[in-house]
Amino acid sequence: MADTTSGRKPVSWRMLDAVDRLVAAAWPRGAHGMNGYLFILPAVALVFILIVGLGYMADYSLHELDLATYRLKDEYSLANYAAFFERPVYLRILGRSLLAAVIVTAVSIVLAFPYAYLMVRTQSAAIRKFLLIALFLPFFIGQVVRAYGWLIILGKEGFINSMATALGLPPLDLIYNYPAVIFGLVQYMLPFAVLLLTPALAAIGEEVELASESLGANWVRTFRHVLIPMATPGLVGASVVVFTLTLTDFAMPQILGGGTSDFIANAIYDSYFRISNLGLGSALSIILVVIGSALVALIFMIAGTGTLGISGRNK
Amino acid sequence: MTDPFTEMTGIPVRLDFTEDNEIKPKIWAAVDQGRVPPIHVNWDTTTNATISALRGVTVDLGDLKGLDKLLPIAKPVGLDGWPLVNTYSYVYVCAYRPEAFPDGAPKSWRVMLEERLKGRVALYNDGIGFNPIAVLAGGGTVKDIPDNMEPGYEFYRALKKNDPLLGEDPDFTTWFQNGEIDIACTISVNARAAKQNGIDVEWTVPEEGCKVDTDGLWIPKGLPENEEYWAKQLVQYAIGRDAQEKWCAALGLPPVYPGLEPPADLVGDPAYPTTPEDFKKLVRIPSPVLVENQPVWFARFKEIMQG
Repeated sequence: MADTTSGRKPVSWRMLDAVDRLVAAAWPRGAHGMNGYLFILPAVALVFILIVGLGYMADYSLHELDLATYRLKDEYSLANYAAFFERPVYLRILGRSLLAAVIVTAVSIVLAFPYAYLMVRTQSAAIRKFLLIALFLPFFIGQVVRAYGWLIILGKEGFINSMATALGLPPLDLIYNYPAVIFGLVQYMLPFAVLLLTPALAAIGEEVELASESLGANWVRTFRHVLIPMATPGLVGASVVVFTLTLTDFAMPQILGGGTSDFIANAIYDSYFRISNLGLGSALSIILVVIGSALVALIFMIAGTGTLGISGRNK
Repeated sequence: MTDPFTEMTGIPVRLDFTEDNEIKPKIWAAVDQGRVPPIHVNWDTTTNATISALRGVTVDLGDLKGLDKLLPIAKPVGLDGWPLVNTYSYVYVCAYRPEAFPDGAPKSWRVMLEERLKGRVALYNDGIGFNPIAVLAGGGTVKDIPDNMEPGYEFYRALKKNDPLLGEDPDFTTWFQNGEIDIACTISVNARAAKQNGIDVEWTVPEEGCKVDTDGLWIPKGLPENEEYWAKQLVQYAIGRDAQEKWCAALGLPPVYPGLEPPADLVGDPAYPTTPEDFKKLVRIPSPVLVENQPVWFARFKEIMQG
């Protein structure tokens, strides 16, 4: 224990005292009621930077590219937004991205639920450890590496096709198409979904399920009327995260799509970097942000933010 | 190329391998904001370099010595002065797997449409290097470019039915290496490098021809005076005989310095153009035309291929 009676305080204590004095000078006693807000300042600053960036993008999106100088014209116009709606390719790419986001979210949730459930309910420490390791291991492997891994497995000359050929079967087209992108995304998103579902399922006491069953409900009814409603915070959280990550994904369509299954993020990259059209790239980005935000808002409107424990009511 | 320069001047050269499309906006932003650009010399495609020149972010290289002695292809077309200097040309060849073409090299790009090659054809994912050739393969002529690209789009629509793969330089090598494609439009450097690495790949210039293009060097505005001077000295060295001989031989590309011998494995290769006769088999679209039309061509290419 530190000796505080001799008047010589440990260095760490003296440093904390100095910080206290500094805070007292900078943050008057009358403002102490605002202490909580002080801690959210860094987060607010980050959001502020994001909003400023979005503001710049919104401004760029309203200027057309001048091909004579490759700079944005001074005049404001809706040409970039018009291009989005007039060129079928962009609507097709947006539709493809949204469809993928819906499919990947649905499949990930369906697959993640039993995984998370088993992880929180199993009595076997070995099984729980195995499931935990299997859950966290993919996080150590980057998305690009995983996508290339699938190329090795699913490629025309990959592992599965080698097996098929050895068995006298015709080679399968497993890669460089939309289903391959969906498959890669589900594999990538599944751990996120499990991770977000697990706390919600862990919060449901096992005795609640037992009570349901003791009152005569079979497993299906318990699942439908007890587990699902009580797991809603996890389901909503997992859906929002998986949906938005999929909607904005770049690498999987790029690597597993063979250049023909682009998502909107790929179109944004192309606009910024390949054709140097800052205005069009910004317009596509703003459209993506607006649609993504609107859909997330819709999910919250349907499920309610209260399901995530954000009710705004004092408890 | 940079090592002898360092030996000569004592100036260490640090190479930044940022992809050409991605370094471009960083340089532009630095110049526009009055900051010192992140690099001194940009090694770029001539199309990208032309865009930078149009934006007015390039230093004039007209005071370099010996520019008048270089081959005409060194001079940028349609731009005032020397905002960049082309350092070599390269050809978007028809690379193929000999095993898939037992009767010899493909004679026409139209073989890409054959059903037996379904899913085994590859192009660049932005159509670069192939847009003018698609017009010719689609029944058009060079005169159609850029005003009537419809024959090219028609060719792309037919090709789309054959499920082509779209990628970038490293993809082609991987796909050939894995035996996943039989034919691709790629730059001769890739095909040659793949062959040197033991991959069974050959290349040819089909009857419609191949697109020939150039890479160049340029210096961004906004460098301190002394640094701009040494950046120019590096470019000066790059267009000199010694650097051109070694650099271009290593790349396997025709230099802009006249009178240099091709590497032994490329003598007589139509993908290594050295004579006017060689260039007659190739299609060269001036950079300003490319720059002005690329966004439209790109959009149409994507529209067809993303269907």
